[in-house]
Amino acid sequence: MNLTDGIQFDSFAAFIDMGGYAFNVWAVYALFALFVTVNLVAPLRQRKALLRDLRRRQTLNQRSAESTAGVAVDEANHKAERVET
Amino acid sequence: MWLWFAKLGSPKWFYELSSKWLPWLVGAMAITLAVATVWALLYLPPDYQQGFTSRILIVHVAVAGTSLAFFPLMAVAGTITLVWKMKLADMVAKNAAALGAWFSFITLATGSIWGSVSWGTWWEWSDSRLVSMLFQFFLLLGVVSLRSALEDSDKAAKACALLSIVGCINVVVIKYSVEWWNTLHQPASPVSIESGSANGPEFWIATALMILGVYLFMSVSLILSTRNEILRRERRALWVQELLHESD
Repeated sequence: MNLTDGIQFDSFAAFIDMGGYAFNVWAVYALFALFVTVNLVAPLRQRKALLRDLRRRQTLNQRSAESTAGVAVDEANHKAERVET
Repeated sequence: MWLWFAKLGSPKWFYELSSKWLPWLVGAMAITLAVATVWALLYLPPDYQQGFTSRILIVHVAVAGTSLAFFPLMAVAGTITLVWKMKLADMVAKNAAALGAWFSFITLATGSIWGSVSWGTWWEWSDSRLVSMLFQFFLLLGVVSLRSALEDSDKAAKACALLSIVGCINVVVIKYSVEWWNTLHQPASPVSIESGSANGPEFWIATALMILGVYLFMSVSLILSTRNEILRRERRALWVQELLHESD
């Protein structure tokens, strides 16, 4: 079976024209394509931004955890020194 | 059974399972939508009355039919939220409201564009199908704004769950509006085996394929936004923190 057999149009121009209802038919399919694309791309972009934000927070948290741990180590060292002297 | 239920409600479990399923769902969605669209635009014979504008109905019927699934879906999720306080159910419900509003809007817009040719009017206030669908659009916008208006997320979830359950009444009204009140919008055509008309085999096979594609698209979009919601609400959980170390 030839794939072109069932095509309802003789020319590309006729396909675009849609029997005189080009505006209505193409507006609906354009709207549909936009609708599908937006509702797939938006959550994907949101995910990207979310992951970036969460990773940034994670490094900030780790740094602050490290610095407080550092202070604790310093204090412990000071105490040890005082005991020694 | 209860273990399975508890597992299903775990955001982590859903996140991991959906990671595995997503590629397949996206693939099936892309193929189904592509085949249905090409078929509808190129191969569908013109309807004996509507000509090529009948191509619009493939999209309109698929989106409209799927739009009716949102309130029942949100009502089920809302009941689960109210009774079992399952976190995942509310995350799905939250994203379903926004997506459902989109579906309702596209239903109205595509119907309007079709009606402008076939009925000679873009809108008819006396038609129950049109007005009840517009009402669904506003109701869904209402659910979205109700959630953002209430600061307490627990209260917001409960209020939205209640509104979703009540909103199901409107779905019944939309469904039977064409039979209860006889105005402009025609009832669904009975399936016919005669080709060359908008209820012939080429049409309903193309429509069925488009409905499948639109349902797959709805699932994929909803899963994607639910996964985002999971990451946002569970950001302090150990498994999310560990996940951040991996690449996307």
